[in-house]
Amino acid sequence: MPGAVVLVHGGAGKIPKANNDVDNQARLYGVKSAATAAYEALLAGASAVDAAETAVRCLEDFPVFNAGVGSRLNLAGEVEMDAAIMDGRGLRAGAVGAVKNVKNPVSLARKIMDLTPHVLLVGEGASQFAQESGVQLVPMQELITEKSRRALAQVKSLPFGIDPKAEEEEEEHGTVGAAVMDTAGNLATSISTGGISGKHVGRVGDSPIIGGGIYCDNMVGAAVATGQGESIIRTCLANNIIQLMSTGMAPQQAGDSALETMRQRVSGLAGVIVLDRHGNSGICCNTGHMSWAQLKDNELSWGLSAG
Amino acid sequence: MSSADGAAAAIQPALIVHGGAVSAASYASDARRKAVNAAALAGWEILQGNGSALDAAEAAVRSMEDNPVLEAGTGCMLNELGQVELDAAIMHGRTLECGAVAGVANVKNPISLARKVMEKTSHCLIVGRGANVFADRQGIATVPLEELVSESALKEFRALNGNYQNGCNDFFNPRTVEEAHDTVGAVAIDKHGDMVAATSTGGNAAKLVGRVGDSPLVGVGLYSDNSTGCVSCTGHGESIIKVHLASRISMYMEEGISPDEATRKALLYMQERTGYGAGAIAMDKEGKVGINFTTKYMAWAYITEGKLQHGMLHKESFTEIA
Repeated sequence: MPGAVVLVHGGAGKIPKANNDVDNQARLYGVKSAATAAYEALLAGASAVDAAETAVRCLEDFPVFNAGVGSRLNLAGEVEMDAAIMDGRGLRAGAVGAVKNVKNPVSLARKIMDLTPHVLLVGEGASQFAQESGVQLVPMQELITEKSRRALAQVKSLPFGIDPKAEEEEEEHGTVGAAVMDTAGNLATSISTGGISGKHVGRVGDSPIIGGGIYCDNMVGAAVATGQGESIIRTCLANNIIQLMSTGMAPQQAGDSALETMRQRVSGLAGVIVLDRHGNSGICCNTGHMSWAQLKDNELSWGLSAG
Repeated sequence: MSSADGAAAAIQPALIVHGGAVSAASYASDARRKAVNAAALAGWEILQGNGSALDAAEAAVRSMEDNPVLEAGTGCMLNELGQVELDAAIMHGRTLECGAVAGVANVKNPISLARKVMEKTSHCLIVGRGANVFADRQGIATVPLEELVSESALKEFRALNGNYQNGCNDFFNPRTVEEAHDTVGAVAIDKHGDMVAATSTGGNAAKLVGRVGDSPLVGVGLYSDNSTGCVSCTGHGESIIKVHLASRISMYMEEGISPDEATRKALLYMQERTGYGAGAIAMDKEGKVGINFTTKYMAWAYITEGKLQHGMLHKESFTEIA
């Protein structure tokens, strides 16, 4: 039995121009805290799904990450969030797209997985279900930070509006995620994001697309991505990684290979964390910067670029 | 593609359409056969005129959206509040560009709106109210609900009384039930070898507001890559999502498996892992086709130079001169 493993990331992007040490320290603190909370939960008997949710809830609550509090704003200045969770047992999954006013979208995704016969709810319907399901709702203002406002103002000042590759350019990075193996050997993944600054109202990225930004199958492994959302969707990044692992490829190699394929086909860059069913991990990134933390065999490791 | 003497062999344009994969008895109607045949001919007219796979796939799906017999666009099902919410997507195999909408209200041809997302934005998927805002800006009119909703959809909505799961168990598994409904889709290849996949749906009866199935999700309900092939799926949306059916079929084709075997293998995998049925149409870059389903019925039509093949039941295939 492999034993508990927790892998989290706080988003991939280009190396911040100012190399802002305060923000980097905040990101490292955030991913380490999230990994620790999830790992402790596992050791106390929590399931992989519980721990995956816990890790991303932590990251959503830290304003430094582009998820939950600190989410980037759409063109109308609103927070619309995407999130998903997937249980490696039975391929169960729950996801939300463009949901508003929810403090922890990953928990809403979990409610969808556990309480409905559906996988994905979007927009108004997702917000309505949020009200009925009992997840915590907050006024939009509570999710908006000064950084997010500035990022939107910057996008609006560009002559041609947003650049699809801008997600990599932003000093503040994208999606957060976690990949977890519990003490019983079950896998789970979770993901959450506010999306690109200045995105069209209702734009949904890769995070809630099962097989795009996230996938998890006890029989093979787990993958969670961050980076240029449209590129991840178009090349089915998570699926590719799982498929490569199913042929016996190790997680690190599978992640690196899939990222290179994506770069070649659509010129997109991203980061991804990967686990196979034996608990081996891969931390892969070709954008130059991705905050991450891993807890395994009671050892905590972390970094700001690919491991 | 090269022939023996070194000259590039001409690519044979072709198109496959499907009108949904379900197991409900009332699905099997002559009207449904006619609807998919008409859609195939609509797409073929464009290919024959040297038109693009993109235009052909869109035309075929528009034809099915406009036909009240099928459950995309006009004739769609209602969500649990009696509203119309439509999903559609289109993907271009040369560039891997795609466009999709989900939960868009009262637009007559969601596939055309999906195409606009692909061509006019840098995004792949726009949902809900945002999709309607985008439609307005593109000059795509919203139509009144009555124009889209059929008598049978209203009847279905009342009968199910909000019980979505009962609906799913009946419609996608081999048991007899009164009504049926599903996604429509098309895959096309033009003379340049460009392949396009397209899907459109009004979703399943009594679904939760905002529920999105497989249709607008790239890699799930559809996929297209000139270097491998094009795929469109239909069936139990949530289960199709879990096994990422379209990209699974695409991956099998990439390994060199024929479209027929790839669709068969992927559908069996889905049945094993999820217990639900579905259907898929696929073409590879050599124009070989795969048309398979694990539900009782899937209305389909395949058209290429000189012939139109179509069917709806297992082991059924009629051929006519096109």
